[in-house]
Amino acid sequence: MKENTPLLQVQDLKVYFYTEEKEELRAVDGVSFYLKEGETIALVGESGCGKSVTSLAILRLIDSDGKIQGGKIILRGRDLLSLSEKEMREIRGRDISMIFQEPSSALNPVYTVGDQIMEAIILHQKLPRPQARKAAEEALRLVGIPEARKRLDEYPHELSGGMKQRAMIAMALSCHPKVLIADEPTTSLDVTIQAQILELIAELQHRLNMGVILITHDLGVVAGMAERVVIMYAGKVVEEGSRWDIFHHSFHPYTWGLLHSIPRLDIKQEKLAIIPGAVPDPLNFPSGCRFRNRCPLADELCLTEPQWREIESQHYVYCHHYSQVEVLKTRGFER
Amino acid sequence: MIFYIIRRFLFLPLTLLGISLLVFLMIGLLSPYQRLATFIDSPERLKGADIDKLVEFYGLNDPLIVQYGRWLKNIFQGNLGWSYVGKEPVYDALMRRFPYTLELALFSIFPILFLGINLGVISSVNHNRPLDHGLRIFAVVGWSFPDFVFGLFILMIFYSVLGWFPPGNLSLWAEEVVKSSAFHSFTGMTTIDALFNGRLDIFWDAFLHLLGPVLTLTYVQFAFILRITRSSMLEVLQKDYVRTARAKGLDERVVINKHARRNALIPVATVSGQTIIGLLAGAVIVETIFNRTGIGSFMSLAAQQLDYASIMGGTLFFGLILVLGNLIVDISYAFIDPRVRLE
Repeated sequence: MKENTPLLQVQDLKVYFYTEEKEELRAVDGVSFYLKEGETIALVGESGCGKSVTSLAILRLIDSDGKIQGGKIILRGRDLLSLSEKEMREIRGRDISMIFQEPSSALNPVYTVGDQIMEAIILHQKLPRPQARKAAEEALRLVGIPEARKRLDEYPHELSGGMKQRAMIAMALSCHPKVLIADEPTTSLDVTIQAQILELIAELQHRLNMGVILITHDLGVVAGMAERVVIMYAGKVVEEGSRWDIFHHSFHPYTWGLLHSIPRLDIKQEKLAIIPGAVPDPLNFPSGCRFRNRCPLADELCLTEPQWREIESQHYVYCHHYSQVEVLKTRGFER
Repeated sequence: MIFYIIRRFLFLPLTLLGISLLVFLMIGLLSPYQRLATFIDSPERLKGADIDKLVEFYGLNDPLIVQYGRWLKNIFQGNLGWSYVGKEPVYDALMRRFPYTLELALFSIFPILFLGINLGVISSVNHNRPLDHGLRIFAVVGWSFPDFVFGLFILMIFYSVLGWFPPGNLSLWAEEVVKSSAFHSFTGMTTIDALFNGRLDIFWDAFLHLLGPVLTLTYVQFAFILRITRSSMLEVLQKDYVRTARAKGLDERVVINKHARRNALIPVATVSGQTIIGLLAGAVIVETIFNRTGIGSFMSLAAQQLDYASIMGGTLFFGLILVLGNLIVDISYAFIDPRVRLE
């Protein structure tokens, strides 16, 4: 395995949306991260921070009111942003697959599960229908769906939520992609099913040696799955590091706030940290550090753009006051 | 599904009973003298006659419910009454005219649905671009055109000026052939019968006579299908499964025509059903303008002349079409959308 050249590299990605009044909405503004072969990274942030847009941009599936305005998305040395639409179609589903949050709406209600899985197989592997059907059955078996052959001819509404997500995974993995993007794959599922689905993704990742980008706001999921964590806030990456770094000595006050707002059973807590305020309106993000209006450490310095610093090996942070984050331990998150 | 269809058929007589009762009561609002008019085939009969006696004779003074019962008894004996307007039994009058309406409906519904659905899809895919605006304007104009205005335009351009599409059912020479004993009538629809008889010249003549009304109906009706398809497509194109289809690497054409369109057709099926039912019940104005002897022009004539045997018979017939049409729409749902189970 080539350790030093990542499988997928996102460099300075900018995705802007435009309102009807032609206002520019910088949903993703200079996001960079990388993914190595067989690795799981997590993209973490509150809703509206740009993590889903980033993932859709990797597949170039941004809606028509949005535009990729800059950056590079390099998959094994090829910049996806320079490909033609036709070349991009060959990448989708074959090299990079995606599973979505809501399995019941992500599957087409009027076609059978088998039809929908076979479609990708016929398209990318150029198999004739009978073989494609066998491959689809195999894919369903791989994700642990019982009576796979029978399920092929069933419609999505005949499956339970967990089974639907399994079928989605089977569809995404049917062409053995190198990269799997999982956009909140368990958010809409029951807690017991959540664990099963995550376990399934982890197991298949090892078996197929895929790189997985897990998009989530659930740090519990992150702790169980990801090797590296990318924290996003208001369209920017604010901290990146190994799971251990992020969970045990994070440097960005936002990361710190996220971690301390989860209730924990192993530590006695008087009250949970709450990050005051909400994600700012993307139409007018604060200048300089975008977190400054919610940050207890903010001062005049934060009116200027922070630098992207490597503090420890492979641990990056985007904050002027990263060295003071320890203060929060005693002071809490009140300003 | 079979049970569903059988059950719907069992309800059919009840529906028809309800419809007929309603229409009968409305006719009952007229005075017995007004209703007597339908029984008088020539003014000669009234000379020196005692009108009250005639009213008595036809039982027009009896309680309405008794009159209704009498009408119902006749129906069960297969007698829909005498059509004053058609100068023949109502049943014969309807059966002779319905093929003309059916023929017009068949020739219109295909262009209506084809244009409506396809242009609707094109419009939605080009959402808010010039093509979309153009198609919408084209559709709105069609939708807001009264058919009697547009029909007259068509008649003026294609008959008066160009002389291409004459009004009526057939040219005189063709009419003669069709009425001769050598020409076998299988369906009553001239175009189809002409093909069965191997008379391409008659087919062509009948076809030319159909084009004017077909053009009128198509332009006025397709616009509605277009609008429904467009808005339904716009909604479906936002769905997650459309994004899934794209994420699979499918060509945009497949995404639109396979994944999105089939879902978008569910509401279109409802509206199309109503359009088809409307066409089968006779396009009154279009049939009148183009002088086609279909069921629509027959019914409007019957209504003007208070020919209540014809009105009642025609109403029952419409009721039958309506119920059958809705049944077909319901069954078509089950084919488009697997989540619909008819039970």
